[in-house]
Parts: sequence; C-alpha cells; structure tokens
Amino acid sequence: MIEFIDVRKAFGPKKVLAGVTVTVEPGEILFVIGKSGAGKSVLVKHLLGLIRPDSGTIRFEGQDITEWTEKDFYPLRRRCTMVFQHSTLFDSMTLLENVALPIRKHQGVSHEASLKMAMEKLELVQMDRMAQRHPADIGDGLRKRVAIARALTMDPEYVVFDEPTTGLDPVSAVRVDRLIRRLADELGVTSIVVSHDLRSIFGVADRIVMLYHGQVLLQGPPSVFRASEDPIVNQFINGLVDGPMEL
Amino acid sequence: MAEPITVREIIADVIQQGRDTLRVGRETVYYLFRGQWNPAAVWEQLQQLGTRSLVFVLVTQGFLGAIMLLQAGFQATRILGDASLIGAQAIPLLVRQLGPTLTAMMIATRAGTAIAAEIGSMVVTEQVDALRMCNAPPVDYLIKPRLIGSIIMVPVLTIVGTAAAFFAGMAVASIVFDTNPSTYANFDVLVGLDVVEGLLKSVAFGIAIPLVAGTAGLSAYGGSEGVGEATTRAVVASSLAVIVLDFIIGSGVFLFR
Repeated sequence: MIEFIDVRKAFGPKKVLAGVTVTVEPGEILFVIGKSGAGKSVLVKHLLGLIRPDSGTIRFEGQDITEWTEKDFYPLRRRCTMVFQHSTLFDSMTLLENVALPIRKHQGVSHEASLKMAMEKLELVQMDRMAQRHPADIGDGLRKRVAIARALTMDPEYVVFDEPTTGLDPVSAVRVDRLIRRLADELGVTSIVVSHDLRSIFGVADRIVMLYHGQVLLQGPPSVFRASEDPIVNQFINGLVDGPMEL
Repeated sequence: MAEPITVREIIADVIQQGRDTLRVGRETVYYLFRGQWNPAAVWEQLQQLGTRSLVFVLVTQGFLGAIMLLQAGFQATRILGDASLIGAQAIPLLVRQLGPTLTAMMIATRAGTAIAAEIGSMVVTEQVDALRMCNAPPVDYLIKPRLIGSIIMVPVLTIVGTAAAFFAGMAVASIVFDTNPSTYANFDVLVGLDVVEGLLKSVAFGIAIPLVAGTAGLSAYGGSEGVGEATTRAVVASSLAVIVLDFIIGSGVFLFR
C-alpha cells in the first residue's frame, strides 16, 4: 500500500499541493486527474523521491519514506518505475541502449547481457525491429512504447504512468490502456496513472482521485464521479468549456 | 507582473546557491572515488571545453594583452621617458593574475553558460529524473566528467591565453614603443611563486566553474524560462566565484612572499 498523508509542496510562492491525502491499494489502477498545473505529476513524483515534500508523510508498504536519502530510493525505484510524460529517452543512445541502461545500473549485469534482456523487453512492445534506431528517428507514439518497455525492464510491482496516452493516436492509446489493464490483471502490478484522457479514465481506472487547488476534490471509483453533482467534477469529466472551474 | 525582489531575498538566494554548490561538490568528490569511470564522457568534455573556449580565449586575451601594454607603455613613457621595462613588469602580473583570472572569466561566460543550459534543459525535460530512475546519479553522470575536463582544460587554456596576451603585448611593445622583443621578454622579475599562484588559481577556477554552473543547471525549474534563469545564474555565480577565489588565493600566497 502507498499512502500520501497531508502532503504539501510549494515552488516559491506557488502552492502546488496544499495537504493531499491519498491511499493506493495493492494491485489497483488509480487515476490522478485534474486540470493542467493541478499538481498531479508533482504528487506522484513524491513517491519516487524525485520531488521532496515541504511537509506531510509518504509511506510505501508501511515504511515512512519521507526523509529517505537519494541513495535509499534506488532500491525502491527498481520496484516502482515510471513512464514519463514526454517519454524522456536519451537522445545519444539507441532505443536498445535506452532500455538496457536501467537493467545495467540496477542489476549490475554486463553491457552485453543487458542488451540481450533489453531486446526481450522491446519485443514485448513490438519495437525490436527498430532497436538500433535513435529516439530522434521515431515518432511520439513509438517513443512512448520504448519508454514503457524501459519502465517494465525491472519487472516492477508498481508503475507510475505520467500522461501515457497524451499525444498518441487513438489506436496506440487503446493499446497503452490495455497494457495497463493487463499489467494489473495478469501480473498484479499497481499502477498510478496521471491523465486527462476521459476515455482512458473511465475505461481503465479502478479508482480516481481528482485534485483541485492543491487538494483532493473527490476520490472514489468511476461510478462515484459519474454520480457526482459537484459542478467542478461535472465540468471536468464532461469536458465542458463553461463552468465554475478556474483555468 | 513579477514581484519586487528585496536585498534580503537576494542574500538568501546567494546563501542557498552556495549551500547547493557545496552539496554538489561533496557528492562529486564521492563519485570521483566511488562512481562509474567513463573516459569517453571526460574526453567529450575536454573537447567541448577546448573547442568552445579556445578561439574566444585566444582573441580576448590577445586584445587584453595588447591594451594592457599600450596603457602601461604610455604611462611608463610619460613618467619615466622609457618603456623598455614594461615587459618585466607585465609578465608577473600576467602569469599570477590577469592570465588565470581573465581566462576563467571567459570560460565561465562561454562554457559555464553551456553547462547550465545543457543540464537545465535535461532537468526541465525530465531527463535528469529519468537518469535517477535508472540508478544513474546525475552528479556522477553529468557533473563529474565536466569537473574532470575543466580541471585539466582550464589550466591549459590559461597557459594558452597568457601566452596570447604575452605575445600580443610583445607586438605592441615592439611596434608602438620600439622595444626589442628580447628586452620585452624579461623574466628576471618573475619568481617561482608567481607561476605557482597562477596555476593554483587556474585549478581552483577549473573546479569552481563546472560545480557552480552545474548546480545552477540542476536547480532549473519550469520550462525554457527556467533554463534561461539557470543560465543567467550560472554566469553571475561562477564569475563571482572566480573573483572571490582569486582574492582568497592571492591573499594566501601573498602571506608566503
């Protein structure tokens, strides 16, 4: 179980998180939603130690990780990986080398062995034919698939997806949604998904948390959101231009 | 509209930058002994530093050497009626002070901004976070090769820049003041401690510039605006670091004279 308890974070004068409390149950797919700049990515990065809270507590499987050092987080990042919003592949490396890097660094295996293991992961996302290409040579959708392969190299128990379907064509987006579902159903992987994609949210989520003004506005299964009479929730999930939501 | 910045905020910002740089420095020392060894990355940094700064250093130091000799020569001629000793006076000053300091200022401007912009761009595009997720510490991967490259290349560029200023001064002395080149190249006043001071300074500047600029890059936040701010911070802070170190080392060596 993952727990964010009263997490607060500000960047300069801008308060991004103003006391967020969220729990993630094992094996579930939790979607974190909210308008742009609501602090969704900031919240999930706290779990991986990529951002440190100003106050509050973060627990990972009952252990308080709030004060962990950078070094303490490395074993956790092997079990809990992340697919970044813009894929974030290293331009100087081939796709194969990109996927091999975490294998080599986390497992300490040889360069050759890591490349072999990376190729297997690229096969999983049907990218093995392009293994020797560089990120700049392929499109956004294909880059996203490689980024997912990289996140799955360590056979993680938890995966954080930051807007995994943004910028993808509808077919690729459905593929990503199915992959997230399959990871949960077949391997018991817990997924935290930051998304704006309404089709994904209501097609894949077990539970949804909506952030607004740095706080949790509503959380629960999709049915709770559909039944909600909160005008801000309604405006967001129906994609309405007019409404009380501050943009 | 941006909020006004108070003096207190500026001081707090400088203190914070100093602390961050010391922390990055400590981590870099740790990874120098415990991190990965990547000669290719160091070689790339040596080339980057060399190609980025060599022409800039040569041209600027050449002109500064010529200007300095011109001004000193006019004064010497006016007061003493003779400019034949300006070489003997200028050489120690070049070796222990102007050569290392001005070269470092130029490298801080040219290479320091490039370091901050490169690393800052990696931060705002989450590449640094991706490195951290891959168990590849950013300080080990990004700062360490730049530090090693800088420790080697800044003294080399200092020697090249000082030589450029020396020869430009020699040309001015010869053409304008009719001083024989062999008279100008008078090393009698230069002592070993001058050379030690110059080299010591160039090594210290070689350590400070990548650490300060790299720290500024790592602290970038936001989009391209954040990278711009980090780059500005890098050039201001590394230039300041060069001046402060110049004063500290210069004062320290003075005590041994």
